[in-house]
Order: sequence, then structure tokens, then C-alpha cells
Amino acid sequence: MKTWQRGLVAACALLALFGGVAYAQAPGAPSVEFPYTGNRTAVWIVAQLHILFAAFILGAPIFVVISEWMGYRKQEPRYDRLAKEVTKVTVILYSMTALTGGLFIFVLLATYPQFTTWFINQFFLVFAVIYPALFISETILLYLYFYTWDSWKGEKKSRHIALGVLLNLIGLITLVVINGPTSFMNTPVKAEGISPQLYLETATLWDKIFNYSWMPLNLHRIVGNVTFGGFVAGMIAAYMYMGAKKDEERAYYDWMGFVGNLIGVGAMLFLPFMGYLLAYELCDYDASICPYMMADQLSMFFEMQGAMIGLMFLASNYYIWLSMKRIEGVEKVRMTILAPIAMVALPLVMTKVMTDYPVPDPMSLAFLLPLILAPFTLARFVPLVRFIPLVGRFIPQTVSARTVIKIGFLMVVVGDAIWLTPHGFVPTGAKLVAELELPSDWNFLALMPAKNSAAFTLVFVTVVNYVIYNRAIRQGTIVWGKIDFASQFVLIFLAFSSIWTMGLMGAVRSLLRKYYHTYNLLPDFTAESFTPTLSYSAWWITGITVVFFVVVSFAIIVTLRPSDSKGHAPEGSPVPARAK
Amino acid sequence: MGNVIKKLAIGLAVGGVLVGITRALQFPFIFQMMFFGYAILGAAVFILLDAPSLKTMSGIKSLIALVAFYIVLCTVYISGASMWPQYDPEDEKGKIAKILGPKFAATQQGKAEELIARAKALDEQVKALEVRLKELGGGQATKEPPAGAAPATTGVATGDFMKQGEEQWQLQECYNCHKLKGEGGKKRGPELDNIGTYLTVDEIKLKILDPKSFMAEGFEKEWEKGKMPDKYKDLMEEGDVVALASWLGTFKNTSVNTPKPIKKK
Repeated sequence: MKTWQRGLVAACALLALFGGVAYAQAPGAPSVEFPYTGNRTAVWIVAQLHILFAAFILGAPIFVVISEWMGYRKQEPRYDRLAKEVTKVTVILYSMTALTGGLFIFVLLATYPQFTTWFINQFFLVFAVIYPALFISETILLYLYFYTWDSWKGEKKSRHIALGVLLNLIGLITLVVINGPTSFMNTPVKAEGISPQLYLETATLWDKIFNYSWMPLNLHRIVGNVTFGGFVAGMIAAYMYMGAKKDEERAYYDWMGFVGNLIGVGAMLFLPFMGYLLAYELCDYDASICPYMMADQLSMFFEMQGAMIGLMFLASNYYIWLSMKRIEGVEKVRMTILAPIAMVALPLVMTKVMTDYPVPDPMSLAFLLPLILAPFTLARFVPLVRFIPLVGRFIPQTVSARTVIKIGFLMVVVGDAIWLTPHGFVPTGAKLVAELELPSDWNFLALMPAKNSAAFTLVFVTVVNYVIYNRAIRQGTIVWGKIDFASQFVLIFLAFSSIWTMGLMGAVRSLLRKYYHTYNLLPDFTAESFTPTLSYSAWWITGITVVFFVVVSFAIIVTLRPSDSKGHAPEGSPVPARAK
Repeated sequence: MGNVIKKLAIGLAVGGVLVGITRALQFPFIFQMMFFGYAILGAAVFILLDAPSLKTMSGIKSLIALVAFYIVLCTVYISGASMWPQYDPEDEKGKIAKILGPKFAATQQGKAEELIARAKALDEQVKALEVRLKELGGGQATKEPPAGAAPATTGVATGDFMKQGEEQWQLQECYNCHKLKGEGGKKRGPELDNIGTYLTVDEIKLKILDPKSFMAEGFEKEWEKGKMPDKYKDLMEEGDVVALASWLGTFKNTSVNTPKPIKKK
């Protein structure tokens, strides 16, 4: 696709936006009825697809610039190649983001004209001026960044990286700006003692944007986008590894998969806490949201989320396990016995401590910090800590890396089990009967302290495994391209599962508005304003994920396959791991 | 293969022990099976850890493997989500219709008011015409009898009124936070079986409309954080609030330890 064609796509998207605004102003515009899916599901499909593409084009450049900078700093051409290849895919998907964005506006206007008119009027400056300006700026910067790649090298490379940073900055602002109206639909401005309708009349644009869930949503989406970008980069690598014909190509894409997974998992470690923060703020906004999410209509959506996150943590640790298998000398790596002890103790101690000192009571840290830090030697990172007698210094016993990782896997299964255990096997509290309910003495397993401890156990085990991996590559020799072929399926699994989970949680966030377009403010009088079943939602989430994957796969094949013939510098020859 | 059998046997043994323990602890059958499932998951993970390496595939073979993998993933996720207990939207549809009904009627009422205004304007025109006819010497225009009085509203029977209050308890999902008659509540809000002893109907109504007006003893943190939503004055009709307050006012079960409300405003 040439520049003018891409420009045309962007122009179409803008036309859709402005044309949509004009259409929305038409008085009494009748709404249409989508066949088979109904209006709500039609909006759901288009909106979710748009968000998936948008998440990629905002997440991938963060990953790309970091990679380019590392290549520049280390003078390693393979980082630069990785960055460029991901950018090629990003450019194609950028057009898809614009197209689905335009389609989203059209579908929304056709199906919910009254609401859309009202909503655009509430954020007119954002939709008509700020967002298009940011979008155009981002378009210009992305194409500039891509087309100056080869010309701005050598001494001009730092200029190119700076352009990438600017692109990310604009992308970040775009995300934050559009999160204003999105979060407003969940938590519109309110003030004590005044009706929301009345308060809205006096609220400024800033009041509407800076609502309860705006900042938590920003944080959640930024971290989520980086995770997403990392895992999709891993998936690109897996595709290319599967299609590679030469050993050096396999070595390169093995390395690329590892880097993508590292970024994805690194960001994923923060996701449960960002999600918790968002849920906490939503519950703080309106306490009735909490039972709707956790105990009533959406409770089984969270069970499914728990299952997905558990599987993703299992998969990311399995990838590390497979990666370790191709490191020569890994059997010499050992770790303090405190690591497995802390892993086993963590869910029990944390559940007890968090029950006695609920979040955000800082007292809980007094018990948990020593336990969490015990296996690590912080002196390398923080010089002052070497004067603090960490317990690990007095316990010389060590265990092999293999044992620590296996205990870690056991604790990931335990963590998954705790996360998944529900209060009752019922979709709503109203249907709870003794035969389907946890015994009262064990009800703590279904409460937040236990769930938090499960999440933290998963994160802790993963961090320990990466520390072990880091030690292994420092002490041994890594042979790129010789990884177990199953690892490529793990990379694809992580990308697919993270996107599926994103779709699931996106549906949850949207459904939290219950029978309102904008919570407690603008009711949805249509017949579709009920909570759909998890099964129905899963069908559509899977369908949306598959469509997204088909498009991304197409983009990868179109952009990266011709590079086969060009040939690259032999980056993939076996090198001592410490040279990384 | 021996490794797989060994790990599967360990998984089954651990699962059996977990089932035994959970049965002894009087866990319901479904939870016993859930713990058994966790043991099998653990066994599967350990089988996978020591599984032999997968041979490198390429070309059409890797493409087929990839498509098959996607089909498996889609099937597992859809069937996995369908295996959890499913919420029946029909349960909610009736509730939503009852909650949004008055709001929708209000919007229809807006249209009705417009019709009334038009009718009034027409009436004015008719009157003007009558005056003109009289002036022209007609005098025979018969005066229409005054419009019939609006039908008298029938008083709501007490039983129905109480039923309306109970219905509001269900519709507004008060049971999610408050326990009543031994049902509902997750300790988010006070148990209300004895609320009628402490508060009058007007005071309960005040508490619903302005949650900061009273604070239950022992719920200081919740009160300060404003845990009870300050939204019912906007969501509920006046009559519904009175019905709910009246219904709650009838609960005077002194054997239940309902915390004492303290007036704050």
C-alpha cells in the first residue's frame, strides 16, 4: 500500500467521523436493526475489533522503539531488524485501525443515533478537534518513522529514535484522550447530593474526562497494550520460525520470540494489579458494581478470566522451561532454598495477612515484604541493602534450578486453583444452595485476600523463574534456533489467549454499565440491554479473536515473506549467552 | 510412556486424597470434583514438562499443525466458557422492564405533554370560533359539557403496597449488601431484620435517598467511604421509595442483631 493509499484510508476514517457527526445531528434519525446479531452485538464486534487493532498500533511502537534503542546502544543489528519488521506489520494494521474506527462510528450512529448524538455533544471538542488532530499527527509520524528508517541511520539514528519516542508520546496522548469518553460511560461525573443529570449540566469537559475510572483505565490499557505488543511480536516470530528454511533464520526468529515473550510477560506481571486497581475504583464509585461483577451476573466471566490468566502464567513459565533446555550448562545453576520456601508459604501467609490487614492497609507489607524479598540478593541493585542482614545470607543451603522451577509449577497450579475456586457453582447469588456452595469455614478461599494471594503467587513464581533464567544465560551458553518446536505453539497460545482475555474483559467493562448507555445517566431502552450469557459472549469473543488473527496473519505474510529473498546479516550463530 | 503413566498415577492418587479430605470436610460433591480436576491439571503440567521435544516442522505440515492448533484453542475456549454455570438473561429482563418502565413512560409522557399543548391550542381556536359565531348571531352553539373529571385514583391496598416494597428490594438488589430474613448480604452493609425498631418509615426513606443521613454502628469505614450508593433518589420513583421504606419498617425482629443507626445529618 502506497503512502497516498494510506492517506486515503485515513481520510475515509475522518470523513466517517465528521460525516457521522453530521448524520447524528439529523433530527429523529431512525435506528436500523442488524440481522442475526442484533444491534448491540454488531456494535460489540466492530468496537472490539477496532480496540484490538488500536491496542496493537499503540503497544507495538513502545516495543519497537525500545528494541531500536537497544540495537543502537549495543550495536546489534538484529534488534534493529526486529524493530523494523514489527513496524512493517504495524503500518498495515494502522490502516485497519482507521478502517474499523470509521466502521465503528457508522455502526454506532446507525444503531443508536440518539445516544451517539448525545455522547458526541458531551465530548464535541474531543471528537471533532483533539482526537482527529492527534490521529493525523500520529499518522504523519508513523509514516515518517517508517520511511526514514533506512535513510536515518548511522549518525542520524538517534534522530530516528527520537522520532519514535515522539510517535509513542502522541500515541499515548491519543489513548489517554479517548479513554476519557470511554471511562465516562462507566463512571460519569457525579457529586454528593446532586443528581447526575443536573451535575452534568455544570460539568466542564475536564470534569467529564477526569472521572473515577479514567486514570485506572489509562494505566490498565497502557500496560495491557505493551503486553499485547510483546505477545503479538512473539507470534510474528513463531510464524516466521515455522516458515524459516535456513538455520540462521530460525536462530533469529527464536531470539525474536524470546524478546517478544520477555516484554509480554514482563508487562503481564503488572496486569493483575492494574486490573485490581480499576475494579477497586469502579467499586468505590458505586458499591453495587462490585457484587454485579464478583457475585452476580458477571461472576462466571471472572471465573473464566481466572482460568485464562492461570493458563497464560502456566504457558509463560513453560516457555521459560523450554528456553532453559537449550542452554548448555544450566544444570550448574542453583538458587537459595528460601526461593521454594517463599513460593510455598506465600499463598498461605498472604491470605492470612491480607485478611487481617485488608488492602490498602500498609501493615500487610511489614509481613509480606521480608518473605517476598528473602530469596533475592538486592545488594547488586541497591548498595544500601548490603548493610541489612537479609535472611538469605545466613542460610547457605541451595537447590538446583530445575527443582525450584518444578516447585514453581506446582505453586502455579495451586495459585490457579485458589484463583478459580468460586463461592458457589451458580451464576448468581440468588440461586445459591448448600449443595453448590463452599462450606462456611472455607469461604475465605472465595474472598479477595485469597484471590490476591493467588495472583501474587503466580507473579512471584514467574519472577523467580526469570531470575533463574537470567542466571542460566550468564553462566551457560545459549544456542539460538535449537529451541523445542513446541515453544512456537506456546508463543501463539500466549498471543491468542491474551487477546481472547482482552476481549472477555472488554465485554465485562462494557457490561458493567448494566442497562445504561452511560451508567445511571442514560438508560438503554432497547430490548438488548440485558446481561448476555458467558457462553454467548465466548462465541463472539472467539469469533472476533479469529478475525483479528486472520488479518494479522495476512499482514505478517504480506510484509515479511518477501524479506526471505533479501538476506540478512547472520545474527543467529550460537554465541555465549553473556554476550547478549 | 512410563513417565506419563507414573505421573498420571501420582495425579490420580493426589486427586483421590483431595477428594477424601474435602469429603471429610463436608465440601459439596462439585467442589470435590473441582479439587480432583486441579490434581489432574497438575499431573498434565508435569507430564508436559518432561515430554520429549517436538520435532521441527516446516512447509505445509507446520501450516496444518497451526490451523489444527487454532481449531483446538477455539473449541476449548468456547466449550470451557459454556461449561461454567450460565446466567439466564430472562431473569434479568423482567427486572429491567420494571426498573426502566417508569423512565420510559416519562419519555412517552414528554410526547403526551406535547399533544396536550397542541390540544389546548386547538381548544383556544374552537373557543375563538364560538365567540365569533355568537357575534354573528348564531347563539345556538351548544356548550359542551365540562370535560369529565379525571378518574379517581384508587388507593393501593396495604398488601399490594408491601408487595411493591418487597419487589423494590429485589429490583434494586439491596440483598447484595444487606442480609434480611437470613438471605443475601456479604457483610457489606448491616443486617436489617430489626431496622423497624430503630427507624421510622420516614427515617428509612431518608436513609435510602441520602445514605449519609444515618450511620450504622460498626460500619464507620463503609459510611465514610460512602459505600451505600447515593443514586436511589435519581433511580427510584417517590412511590417506590415509600413502599420499600414501609416494607422495611415492618421488620422488628429483636432477636437479630441489627446495628443501631446513628443520625448524622
